[in-house]
Amino acid sequence: MKPIHKLTACALLPVTVACSAVSAFADGGDQMGFTTYYFTDSGSNTVATTAFNLAKKLLDATVVLIDIELDHVTVPPVTAITGATRPQRRKDETFEKNRGQIIVGAEQGLGLYAKVAGNFYSSSEVDYKSTGGIATFSQELAGRNTTLTLRGQYNADRVGELLEDGSLIEQPKKTYQALASLSQILSPTTVMDVTYDMMYQKGFLSDPYRQVRVYDGQGASTLADELHPDYRTRHAGTVRLSQYLAPLGASVIGSYRFYFDTWDVHSHTGEIKFNKYIFKDLVLALDYRYYAQSAAWFYQDRYVGPEYIAGALRTSDYKLKPFSSNNAGFSLTYLLRGLRGSGNDLDFLENAGIEVMYFRYFNTLDFSADILQGTLKFSI
Amino acid sequence: MKRNASARLLAIILASSASCGALSGCATTQAYEREKLADLIMERQNPFSKQTLEQKFFTTREGSIGGSAGIGGGCGCAK
Repeated sequence: MKPIHKLTACALLPVTVACSAVSAFADGGDQMGFTTYYFTDSGSNTVATTAFNLAKKLLDATVVLIDIELDHVTVPPVTAITGATRPQRRKDETFEKNRGQIIVGAEQGLGLYAKVAGNFYSSSEVDYKSTGGIATFSQELAGRNTTLTLRGQYNADRVGELLEDGSLIEQPKKTYQALASLSQILSPTTVMDVTYDMMYQKGFLSDPYRQVRVYDGQGASTLADELHPDYRTRHAGTVRLSQYLAPLGASVIGSYRFYFDTWDVHSHTGEIKFNKYIFKDLVLALDYRYYAQSAAWFYQDRYVGPEYIAGALRTSDYKLKPFSSNNAGFSLTYLLRGLRGSGNDLDFLENAGIEVMYFRYFNTLDFSADILQGTLKFSI
Repeated sequence: MKRNASARLLAIILASSASCGALSGCATTQAYEREKLADLIMERQNPFSKQTLEQKFFTTREGSIGGSAGIGGGCGCAK
């Protein structure tokens, strides 16, 4: 196992720089935003993103929106663990690709306490395409102390494999998702959120670029394409408690998530955040997250036997190994609302702010990442 | 069997949390009492929320997914 300090020395400092602008027009309700960020992690993967979004209020209770996002992903020649897909068979060269995403939708109020929304989602990159629809219903109850949200989503994806000659093989993958969330105000300083999320996926659920080393009884080995089951049902339940600490001018937010699926991956996630005004318009946030998961039932450290060359399930996906991770960080947010004044035409700073965030992620698979993010947001 | 036990555990966690919330929430908080809940540091409508970016980071590096209310879709990075 590589020591952490060696990883740190070898790794790039991941940097995410985000700039976002939001404008709310004078007639109220319309919003326009522009976002760009740059991200690199300890595997030297980089993602540069530019995004634009517009929300337009058509009638009193109707809002339409459009969100466009463009990514440029660069993956270096060899990475032990990477979140980005890359052709394994081209591991000796840097892999670059672009991704475009668009979300269009509309939200309609239904009286004073309910609203319904529909969104269309489309994402495209050279070796992956996704198209989906999302429907959301939200209802406020009990004097607006309780909010119930129901959401359904369907995605039809095309998982592609770029071959050496540049041609593409595509295979289908479908995802059905249902979510129910209950938000309950417990007191003037306490809120609890309970969320259940279920996802059913079927189709090609492997990564066409990943390969598994399979051994025979004599120690000789050969490579075989990863082979996962063609369906997976995933369940996640999250409980979140947010408490305002009036004497401190602070809040503490704790959450716990339990997850399991039909591949026998079980996980526990606990997170705690502490936010505090250290000056009137300066907020310090401290955040710690712990995650632990078990392995998928077909995961093995070493695959031995001819059956793994044939149809037996096999994986080299590190996300199906047993591991735990820690994530700790902080952020500083400076609110620009204090710069507003009578007659100085700076009302657009009402919802403006600058934020700098740093967090460090490391897991028992010997992967670590440092992430630094800056955000600028304002309205006019 | 293991899966059934997990389903039961999940159901217990969610049901007990929702029940506690429902019971505690019987004392209605009036609109004028919700100033603290609307504060930025409660992250209920935080304009600087990094949840989407963070969730994507975790989704691409961990075997679990879901449980947050963000809208997203398929992409190659999460295979």
